Amino acid sequence: MPLIVTFSFLNGLTLAALLFIMASGLTLSFGLMRVVNLTHGAFYMAGGFVGLSVLKFSGSWVIALLAGGFVMAALALVEERFLLRRARGNDLIETLISLSVAIIVGDLVLVIWGGYPKTIAIPGALMGVTRIPVIGLMYPLFRIFMLGLAIVLIVGLWLFLKKTNLGITIRAGVDNFEMVSALGINVRRVFTFVFGLSGFLAGLGGVMGGTFMMLVVGEDWRILALTLIVIIIGGMGSLGGAIIGALITGLIYSFAMAFIPQFSLFVLFLPVAIVLSVRPQGLFGKEA
Amino acid sequence: MAKRKMGLMLVAVLFLAVGMFGTAHAVSEIRIGHIGPTTGWATIFGQGVLDGIKLALAERDYKFQGVPIKLMSEDTKADVEVMRTKLDSLKNRDKVHLIIGPSLGHEGMAAVDWGARNLDAPMLIGYSAPEDITMRKAAFSVVRPGWTGSQVIFHFGKYCAKELGYKKVIIVGQDYSYPWDQAAGFVRGFLENGGEKVERIWHPVEAVDFSSIMAKLMGMAKEYDAVLNNSGGAQVVGFFKQWYQFGLDKVYPQILGQANVPIVPMLSELGDLALGVYSSLHYYDGNPSQANVKFRESFKKAYGHYPDVIAVQGYDAVHVAFKAMEAINGKVDDSKAFIEALRKVRMSADESPRGPFYFDKYANPVQNIYIKKVVKRDGRLMNIAVKTYKEVSQFGPYANMAEKYMAAPATTRSYPPGDRDSYFKEIEKHFGKDYVENLKKNKGWVD
Amino acid sequence: MMETHVSRYGKILLAVLVAGILISIPWVTSNYFVMMSIRVMYFGMLTMSLSLLAGELGLVSLMQAAFFGIAGYFVAILQSRYGLPFPIPPLVGITVAIIAAGLFGLLVIRARGIYFLMLTLVLGQLVWALASQWASVTKGDTGIHGVYAPVIFGISTEKSKTAFYFFQLIVFAGIAYFLTALKRSPFGLMLRGVRDSETRMAMLGYPVALLCYSAFVFAALVAAVGGVFFAYFTGLINPHSVSLTANVETLLAAILGGINALSGAILGTGILKTLDVVLSGVTKRYMLFMGIMFLFVIMFAPHGIVGTIRKHWDALVGPAADWFGFRRERALAAFLSGQGSSSQSRKRKEGEEEKED
Repeated sequence: MPLIVTFSFLNGLTLAALLFIMASGLTLSFGLMRVVNLTHGAFYMAGGFVGLSVLKFSGSWVIALLAGGFVMAALALVEERFLLRRARGNDLIETLISLSVAIIVGDLVLVIWGGYPKTIAIPGALMGVTRIPVIGLMYPLFRIFMLGLAIVLIVGLWLFLKKTNLGITIRAGVDNFEMVSALGINVRRVFTFVFGLSGFLAGLGGVMGGTFMMLVVGEDWRILALTLIVIIIGGMGSLGGAIIGALITGLIYSFAMAFIPQFSLFVLFLPVAIVLSVRPQGLFGKEA
Repeated sequence: MAKRKMGLMLVAVLFLAVGMFGTAHAVSEIRIGHIGPTTGWATIFGQGVLDGIKLALAERDYKFQGVPIKLMSEDTKADVEVMRTKLDSLKNRDKVHLIIGPSLGHEGMAAVDWGARNLDAPMLIGYSAPEDITMRKAAFSVVRPGWTGSQVIFHFGKYCAKELGYKKVIIVGQDYSYPWDQAAGFVRGFLENGGEKVERIWHPVEAVDFSSIMAKLMGMAKEYDAVLNNSGGAQVVGFFKQWYQFGLDKVYPQILGQANVPIVPMLSELGDLALGVYSSLHYYDGNPSQANVKFRESFKKAYGHYPDVIAVQGYDAVHVAFKAMEAINGKVDDSKAFIEALRKVRMSADESPRGPFYFDKYANPVQNIYIKKVVKRDGRLMNIAVKTYKEVSQFGPYANMAEKYMAAPATTRSYPPGDRDSYFKEIEKHFGKDYVENLKKNKGWVD
Repeated sequence: MMETHVSRYGKILLAVLVAGILISIPWVTSNYFVMMSIRVMYFGMLTMSLSLLAGELGLVSLMQAAFFGIAGYFVAILQSRYGLPFPIPPLVGITVAIIAAGLFGLLVIRARGIYFLMLTLVLGQLVWALASQWASVTKGDTGIHGVYAPVIFGISTEKSKTAFYFFQLIVFAGIAYFLTALKRSPFGLMLRGVRDSETRMAMLGYPVALLCYSAFVFAALVAAVGGVFFAYFTGLINPHSVSLTANVETLLAAILGGINALSGAILGTGILKTLDVVLSGVTKRYMLFMGIMFLFVIMFAPHGIVGTIRKHWDALVGPAADWFGFRRERALAAFLSGQGSSSQSRKRKEGEEEKED
């Protein structure tokens, strides 16, 4: 197989890893709360910038990674508790609230960190290329790390949703919300938790993205559009769908950039249109 | 009663008379409007020009021969519809005597379009570089004390072919007109001076992940000699990062850059990754001339960081305006005279941080082009000039066949063609057989 | 308590007053104000198209700017590149936009609520990607320049802003009238029925899908007309006009003004586009201000300015009118607050929600 094809496949796979990290949080919060959190992209960008500052401060990439995640989780909790909860029940209003928070956060990032593009340095241990077994190709270590992290996340989320009480509650809530609240479970707290988790994942994604790509104002909307594509294709509320959607999106993006870069954006939106016309709820989603 | 009314009337008439005749001979205030993107993703391109303008005005105490100067800055938000609205408001509501701006390519094209419909509004283009602003779409009232995308890169192509000895080069860039212009200028200089092939790869302006392109470049390393990064802003950072991530620095020599690659803010972000990068421009920050040193130090003092070519544009624009105002004795109300004076301004090497320049008949500067390289001096990264080409116009080597150049098709993402044979067929068609014969005889351009 | 008697004089008086103001603008106000009015009109049509779908059907579309842009691009290309004479570029542009709406409509027709919002967001991005990347046709991110406004009946709308203003005003008034008529028609009633309870409408035998589809196409038509004027007046077009930012700003304007009234769309657009120009001269934190304002409106006044005024009109004006004891004032107030007839005022007493113009 020609080199470029193998490379594009690996690139698509590793990009899919980042997309999955982003999509998992968004699809969970949608599945449970019926809210498309449009602030997700802003959390990605802000999380990345927070990570950048923490890295400068502490010198440790791992701390920066976690800081990006936790600070965004905190912001997400605040957003849920004080803003979204007031409009609970009206999905459209909640979505629009999240849109306005996205605009606000976007401008705040500009105020605090400025409009110049920045980048997070790859931690020493993850720099450089490494040989991939079997294929025998030299590939950037950091991207492989990202793939690994996504796999860990998948396993972690799967275990969480299947084995823990909270996880089971969440799955039940995604399936049948009324029943769960009727059973007297404190659904409010579950919501808050899920929202916080999705914020954490977005912030994490931001630090990862800022490390292997770049951090700049405007990234928030780009990543949001990509994430939305993933969950539309995969189906909202479905983690499996998020995996498949991320793979499809990542691979198409990478192959398009390699072979027809000047049409890559357009080609990216094509699968969305196809899925929509054939199965509007996404590949793994439930009937709307 | 009637007498009092008459008295009031008389006083009013007197006031009016004084008001009308009192200001007949002198302008009481000179109003300059700046327009550019001072918020959003393009802030550095708008704010930079504004900072340069303010520095130059502050040096003159915001006065011209005792007359106060009022500066108004309008934000385009990188949106041409907003820009057009603000151009109208600067002219009609604020009644400015001069407009300086805008900064971005598409803004510039829209601005000259507006200028063609508002020939009584003198405009000095800020940073915008599309060549048609002072070529095919030139308007009388629009003067550009700046540069064009191709102007600063023609000779870079020649340098890469002749001095660096490259035969085949890949250009990877953002897919819009300014990088197209840069690629086109490079292609001309490269192929006409010994190069064989230029391969152009275009990606979306806001591309986030270059890994696939890196893979492609890796595959092309056997055939091609060098890669030129033809982007600006955030994409440069992403490109450089992934270049090193994928180990491309091991198969290619240093990256070649377009004009916006090794600018001062980029250098601070890229750090040592930028060492050794070649590029070309009508200005280099390492210029030891007195004018440049003074400019850089006073800028640093005023703003806390070193300036780059973006600020030079604003700074020079003000100086050009002042020279023109001196020539017309401050009568900026006469827009026609003002514009004509602007077009005749000449700046010496002591007056501008970039070096000497004057305007050609299309109101674009004829100036030095420097081939520069990023080095580290005193622990700081900077650009130094490794070669200087003097008095280069926007037509570059085609200065004596300007009409033929403009009659040839305008630049697109694939024109002019990147392989030598097709390219030479094109230039024979548009520039004539004699031109091609001379090229072959002299093995390129005569310096 | 409220008068059921409708003052016909009030209606006519209001119409004459509004028309008088609009017509006199070019002579009474400055060039700058005329230009701003023109801007508000073309963006206003874009906002109205969103308000139509959101207000009547409860469908928030984040792709109306796509239709605005499609028409604008065709006008720009056909006029500046091929020099086609007046009615052709806009007619082609609007037709293509309608066809596009017909195609996209098929994709979004079954979506509701949040799904609809997300789908239209992504499809709007698809159009944006096309505009940005199909450089041979659209000139990519550079955009197209050199579009000249038409000469109509011998008058150049390019040279005379006043002429352009009237050209647009006539069409704008026509569109506003068309939309008002639509809202009051049985079609409008059916749309609101779908918004309030889709299942009930379906059970009653109404063709819900067809209703949504046709409303979607109508809305695209309105947006397309706005796009035509945009291209003619500014003389240019580029992908920014169909970007996500453009769509979000349209949504902001619609919500700010109030999605249930046409006047809301116009008011919201007016405020936003004025702030656009004025605010950015005062502070760099324009977007922050917009975001906070949007948040505030969404959370505390989701019916927008016009909606909130209407809701509290009785509370605002009623006591004042009583105090003065003028019956005619009451009738005027009743008329302005949306009561067009006695049957409607009865419905209001029954506690029904928002009435339209």
